[in-house]
Amino acid sequence: MLDDKYHADRAVGTMQDSKITAKNVQVFYGDTHAIKDVNVEIADKTVTAFIGPSGCGKSTFLRCLNRMNDTIDICRVEGDILIDDEDIYDPRVDPVQLRAKVGMVFQKPNPFPKSIYDNVAYGPKIHGLAKTKADLDEIVESSLRKAALWNEAKDRLHQPGTGMSGGQQQRLCIARAIATAPEILLMDEPCSALDPIATAQVEELIDELRQSFSVVIVTHSMQQAARVSQKTAFFHLGNLVEFDDTDKIFTNPQDPRTESYISGRIG
Amino acid sequence: MTLETADITPPATPSGKGKSLLTQDARTKKRNAAEIRFKAYGIAALAFSILFLAMLLFAIVRNGVPAFTQTFVTIEVELPADVLDKNGNRDIDDIKKVSTFGYNPLIQDALVAATADIETEVADGDLKKMLSSSAGATVRNAVIANPDLIGQTVEFELLASSRVDGYMKGRVVREDLARDRNLDAAHLDIVDALSQTGGVTRKFNWDFILGADASESRPEQAGMGVAMLGSVFMMLVVLLLSLPIGVAASIYLEEFAPQNWITDLIEVNISNLAAVPSIVFGILGLAVFIQFAHLPQSAPLVGGLTLTLMTLPTIVISTRASLKAVPPSIRSAALGVGASEMQTVFHHVLPLAMPGILTGTIIGLAQALGETAPLLLIGMVGYIASNYPDGIASGFLDPNSAMPAQIFEWAKRADPAYYERAWGGIIILLVFLMTMNIIAIILRRRFERRW
Amino acid sequence: MPAIWIIAVILVIATVGYFLARGRALASAGSDPRKMHSLPVYYGTNAAIAAAGPALLVLLAWLIAQPLLINNSLTQYLPADIIGDAGETSLAMADVNRIAGGLDLVVAQGAMTVEAAKNLSVETTDVRAELAAVGVALGADVDAATLALAQRYRGATAFGNILKAVAVIGLSVLGAGAAYAMTNKDFRARRYVESAVKMLLITAASVAVLTTVGIVLSLVFNTIEFFRAFPASDFFFGTRWEPSFSGRGGNSDLGFLPLIWGTLFISIIALIVAVPVGLFAAIYLSEYASPRVRSFAKPMVELLAGVPTIVYGLFALLTVGPLLLSAFGANGSFHLGWMSGGTAAMTAGLVMGFMLIPFVSSLSDDIINSVPQSMRDGSLGLGATHSETVRQVILPAALPGIVGAILLAASRAIGETMIVVMGAGAAASLSMNPFDAMTTVTAKIVSQLTGDGEFNSPETLVAFALGMTLFVITLALNIVALYIVRKYREQYE
Repeated sequence: MLDDKYHADRAVGTMQDSKITAKNVQVFYGDTHAIKDVNVEIADKTVTAFIGPSGCGKSTFLRCLNRMNDTIDICRVEGDILIDDEDIYDPRVDPVQLRAKVGMVFQKPNPFPKSIYDNVAYGPKIHGLAKTKADLDEIVESSLRKAALWNEAKDRLHQPGTGMSGGQQQRLCIARAIATAPEILLMDEPCSALDPIATAQVEELIDELRQSFSVVIVTHSMQQAARVSQKTAFFHLGNLVEFDDTDKIFTNPQDPRTESYISGRIG
Repeated sequence: MTLETADITPPATPSGKGKSLLTQDARTKKRNAAEIRFKAYGIAALAFSILFLAMLLFAIVRNGVPAFTQTFVTIEVELPADVLDKNGNRDIDDIKKVSTFGYNPLIQDALVAATADIETEVADGDLKKMLSSSAGATVRNAVIANPDLIGQTVEFELLASSRVDGYMKGRVVREDLARDRNLDAAHLDIVDALSQTGGVTRKFNWDFILGADASESRPEQAGMGVAMLGSVFMMLVVLLLSLPIGVAASIYLEEFAPQNWITDLIEVNISNLAAVPSIVFGILGLAVFIQFAHLPQSAPLVGGLTLTLMTLPTIVISTRASLKAVPPSIRSAALGVGASEMQTVFHHVLPLAMPGILTGTIIGLAQALGETAPLLLIGMVGYIASNYPDGIASGFLDPNSAMPAQIFEWAKRADPAYYERAWGGIIILLVFLMTMNIIAIILRRRFERRW
Repeated sequence: MPAIWIIAVILVIATVGYFLARGRALASAGSDPRKMHSLPVYYGTNAAIAAAGPALLVLLAWLIAQPLLINNSLTQYLPADIIGDAGETSLAMADVNRIAGGLDLVVAQGAMTVEAAKNLSVETTDVRAELAAVGVALGADVDAATLALAQRYRGATAFGNILKAVAVIGLSVLGAGAAYAMTNKDFRARRYVESAVKMLLITAASVAVLTTVGIVLSLVFNTIEFFRAFPASDFFFGTRWEPSFSGRGGNSDLGFLPLIWGTLFISIIALIVAVPVGLFAAIYLSEYASPRVRSFAKPMVELLAGVPTIVYGLFALLTVGPLLLSAFGANGSFHLGWMSGGTAAMTAGLVMGFMLIPFVSSLSDDIINSVPQSMRDGSLGLGATHSETVRQVILPAALPGIVGAILLAASRAIGETMIVVMGAGAAASLSMNPFDAMTTVTAKIVSQLTGDGEFNSPETLVAFALGMTLFVITLALNIVALYIVRKYREQYE
């Protein structure tokens, strides 16, 4: 099915195939209208960055993409969000299965108070991805390798994940998310709690992840968006103001609000 | 998409790849079933707790409410002058010379007259079993209070005996009386007949709330009033001691104490004291206040002192929490305008923390009010609280009971009529506790601040 | 001079001192408060504290120490056969004190002149009747020796009282004078006042420590006394608990094992009820319940915690016991005959379990809530169901705290008194049957210490040994539990 679509898009020769499609998405927190009529298409195997001043709704929108907003009682989502052409807010969709497909990495590194191994193995275990212990070992190793953490972690797999440095913890969380074999990775300001060196490592990692996943990253740092993303969406006051290639957004924004933000006049 | 990226195989196992989200796979179904089961356990646990609460309340209300009404027998008692005042000069001392035994025949006559129309096999002399043995005293007291009654026929509402009362409340049935020396089934026929004509009635029983305890054989007369006063005096002691000491200790620990091992010791001490079993405080009270200091046994003062020691840790813990909740900015502001540390605390921090402190104190008091175990050891159980204290000093120092101790005492007595009293006593106790808690909640709501 | 008058005099001196010192301070600054180190009120307060504080402390110490000292010095004059026996001595001295107090009362009420009271003799006056007239009841007629001791006591007390009044009032004047002398505009009065207040605060804080010391001392001394009269090995390893009060010691079996067996048996039944129910209720309330359900159910469960234990005791005795008996008794609905009376380990254990539910659930609720939200997000974000998140992430993270909560609940169960006194029965037994009557350490403390307050037979003193073991066990549980909970809290702060 994926392949068909791939060929179809290629045949038409337009953009890369669209992984996530949002149509007329509205989000309400109680009476607050947090996201206003957002339409966006997010491509597979690219890094898409959401930028905008704090409180603009970029994180809220990100959390709609794997229905993490379900855990907040007063939050209500309207409109359609399609992943692989399936409406993820369809009543038949189980958020558990959705979240296995759409992994998430959070602002603050949040390793579980378990060993490094158990942190990574947690997802595969609950989703039943490994039949044997050897399978599990292999998943853990490959996930840690992909998260560029294997060399640092291989000798301390059974020590608590909370004992690592901040940057390592965040890469552990990325490894943990990769281990469930998602197709999309959502990252909510993954570097905001990290020092510059750790940030550089994670950014490098994100660039590599692009080869396997569709990555959506929320960031408050325009430099970071410019460094890691191919596409950038600018949110302002709940509106998606502009969505285009990253180069274009940063060099030739169409909307005056985008330009103000880029040049530092609003923020 | 470039060729380079196309070559990369998906990570881990590709089993989840490309699957539709719209259908649940078998594993997800199983996991969701487990989810529902888990949630059901939670609901069951919660329902179980609430069910138990409902059962408890039901038992209390069902068994306790009857204690608030009491059966009375209305009879016309003739008070002949030749028996009650032989000299005929209405001298109060002469009247007092006639003991309650002198009144009993009059009551018996009145009962015979009242049951004249009723056919019964009960001997005249046994009719008085229907009444409480306090009946003679009731009539005598009325005569002494008003000697003019002598020579008249006066209508009296006299307490029925506990068996009759139990029969009226459905607690006692005829079969129970087969082996009972205190009442026969035949008496109940009279009661039935009298209640038809309004001679036997159930009325609200203020004496249960305000009256004194009675001896083991007269449950119909027993009341909570004296024990209630005992509790009140105890709570006064607790309040007057634990509030100032608790607040002073908290202020020291929270605002002034240096970080050293002594402070640590005090803190560990307080949190441990809060978890020491209450019976141990009873032993402490017994050893220190009675064995060592020779304070009077069963006195509310001793009870209050013991409960103070027990309540202090609770009050210190909640007071420290309220002091902690006052933001440091208030302290900085006061210190910044040149107030000393002491002035900052007493003028600015303490007033802001006061609602929280009072709430904690009331809750601590409520806890102390319901506490029984320590009171057992300092002699507040087993004492029959039949005399009201005659003044403030006597209230603190004379032997008394307390509400929970009185309930325990009633529960221990052999006559099942006392069980009804015990449940009723619990209703009174819970009303007190609820009132205190409501006051605490209102205080908290009213003065709740958000910084 | 009675203590109340001495206090009044001290207060007068303090008041006078207050105004004098305040005036002097103002005068030294030319009535301009701005030139003074402290506010005028502090100079006055300083003098008042100097006048009243030390004097009142000495007065208090004197009031406590004087009777003890006099009693001690008089004990040696008691007949030799009495002195050997601690119990007899204290009885005899109590008589002496009572007669002395009674005579004072007689004089105070004007029934006798001071002289007459001093020259009283048992031959000419019925002292017992005289005292009874003022409301002091004596157990026996007064003999000459006791009366002589009582007179000595009165003499010593009178002398001591005069000395006390002079010393205390003198100290007060001295304090006020010293403070007055020090007062001038540069005197740092506020510092002195504040350090006095601070002393007061420290005293209050040390009440907690004193309480613990008091508990330990009262337990230790009486326990040592007990082990003098009763062999420790028989207490700790005895399997029979049969105190006899008629024999006045000697024939009693005071074995600790059946009591601790009953205590643990009942506590374990209680925990088996309370831990799963409380824990699941907490999980449901903190993880699943909507705010509306939570706002209704949480106070409901906590209501159970505010119910006094006497209520649970009565519920066990009058409701749960008969109910269990009607199910498991010989004539019960299942004809099992397991239970022979309403009071049983099961009755007490069940009700105690109900009592502990809110305790376990509110502690666990706090602990579960203190697991950071990011843990939940992390797990849910990986596609875990809510129950998987709870079981595999939240509970393991909260485990130390929950273990602490369970230990605290266990300590509560072991120390609970009213429910077992009313619900568990009185017979000490080492039975395995949960439907048998059992008794506990706390229940036996109550039954050995209620009644007459004579502290000299092993049957009474054993209660202190029981109290000691109870205190040690619960203290150990509490310390471990509080340590675990504290460490746990620090982890997430």
